[in-house]
Amino acid sequence: MLTESYNDGQPINRAKIMVVDDDPDLRQSLSLRLRANNFDTVNVCDGYSAIAMAQKEHPHLIILDLGLPAGDGFAVLKNLQQYPALLVIPVIVLTARDPECNEKRTLESGAVAFFQKPADNEELLGVIRACLQTGWGWGGKLSS
Amino acid sequence: MGVQDYLVKGDITSKQLERALRYAIERQGLLRALEIARQRQIEFKDQFLSHVSHELRTPLTCIYQYVTLLLDGLAGPLAPNQTDHLKSVLKSVNQLHAMIRDLLEATRADSGKLRVEPRCIVIGELVHQAVAMMQPTAAENHISLDALLDQTVPLVYADPDRALEVFINLIDNAIRFTPTDGKVIVRASMVETDPSAVYLSVSDNGCGIPQGSLAQVFERLFQDPNAVDGNRTGLGLGLYIAKEIVNLHGGRMWVASEPGCGSTFSFTLPLYSLAKLLLPAITHRGRLRDDIVLVRVELTPLSKALRGCWKEVCQRCLERLRQCIYVDKDLVLPPMEASGAGETFFVVASTDMTKVNIMMDRIRDHLVALPKLKASGVLRVTAEAIPAPPAHDPRILEQQVWGVADFVTELIQRGLWSDRQTTGKGESLNVN
Repeated sequence: MLTESYNDGQPINRAKIMVVDDDPDLRQSLSLRLRANNFDTVNVCDGYSAIAMAQKEHPHLIILDLGLPAGDGFAVLKNLQQYPALLVIPVIVLTARDPECNEKRTLESGAVAFFQKPADNEELLGVIRACLQTGWGWGGKLSS
Repeated sequence: MGVQDYLVKGDITSKQLERALRYAIERQGLLRALEIARQRQIEFKDQFLSHVSHELRTPLTCIYQYVTLLLDGLAGPLAPNQTDHLKSVLKSVNQLHAMIRDLLEATRADSGKLRVEPRCIVIGELVHQAVAMMQPTAAENHISLDALLDQTVPLVYADPDRALEVFINLIDNAIRFTPTDGKVIVRASMVETDPSAVYLSVSDNGCGIPQGSLAQVFERLFQDPNAVDGNRTGLGLGLYIAKEIVNLHGGRMWVASEPGCGSTFSFTLPLYSLAKLLLPAITHRGRLRDDIVLVRVELTPLSKALRGCWKEVCQRCLERLRQCIYVDKDLVLPPMEASGAGETFFVVASTDMTKVNIMMDRIRDHLVALPKLKASGVLRVTAEAIPAPPAHDPRILEQQVWGVADFVTELIQRGLWSDRQTTGKGESLNVN
């Protein structure tokens, strides 16, 4: 459980989620939705900053777009694996790209779920909560 | 590519032969160039539509996000008429979303990239699922939506997601063209004339389709010119895609309609015939193989797994499992519709109980090599021998195969899986 997984005393409803998307409107609207559901958010607009920010902020979960400047979503997934501390962060891919060509590859690259834009809000929030509750992390490893 | 030219025997000069050869080569080259150009055109169309779809989805997502934020009151309270206006926007967003999806699906169908992954399914459950999903739309339009199911329909061999797509499409269509207080009925039944398929239909008592349009309803981009604008909410691709999906299953789709009385869209899906699948694996030179064993591979998630991730783990396991068998004498059965969180795969192997241990070890080694399975699930491999027919079995081969299929079905469906079967190294391999 998340409350056991993190020793900073944060309750489950204040988990920190990093939103990585190059579209500012989308970042903002998704953050509003997440904050309204009692999550803290950190916004990032490109692949390079995603890694830097993840190292600095240690989010509990990452929502990642695939089409990004300075290193696309696949590069971010690969780079996250280079850092043991980031390896356990579950990543949900949220992209406009076709699942037929990308879903399998993203899941193989370590993402825990794939959503095509526009994703149903409740479905996305359900998976976010499930990720945080089960502590399902990178490559299926348990983060607890 | 066909015959390029012809020459009459005994009446060939070297000049004629040379000319015929040259023309044949030229024509062949032209045909090949045309085929390459056609393929390139299809690929370009694919790429173009995929790109356009991506570019359309991004702004659409923004509209969806902000409209739902407003509707959920996250940006402050709304006046009742503002809520109504925003609901209209959301409805249009959903329509646009469906159109983009249909456009891509139709392109896939055109280029032969539409895929189905048939499983062994209970069609009644799928019909109930489709009806439950569409019930709110029907209620909103004051239309009754019911399912009439023949309980004797056996298991069906179809892709559950794709079959659901067909039902949703037909029900949605029926609701759109049926007036208030109308009726939509979904039926599943067997028909004596074709015992290898289930007959499914969606009928309504709506406006019906004019005779002149009946032949065109399954064509791409067809829109009934007489339909009122409110009913035309798509691109006219839904029925085309539905028919393509049914065709890919080896079924067929057709429509019967009478203007003013309603329409019935019917289609068939193949029944699951285990004997048909087993025949090439468990027979050799016109007789049943001596030893046949059913291997069961159970995958159980360690925790409440995430939809995408666990599904992917199971899919990868199935792919690996297919690499562990001899394709000419073993068969990985099509997956059954998963009833719980776990997944169970079955292999019919033409081997005996002693040698099956080698196969079970191989399965274990291949599957355990998947890091995701090791981290997220438990694997259990067991085996059960299929009794051999008596030495002088008077039944013909086909009947013997039916006998094996019945025994396997009993084992799988009724859970008649004893614990006595697992011995030695291959028994219950629990991996975590």
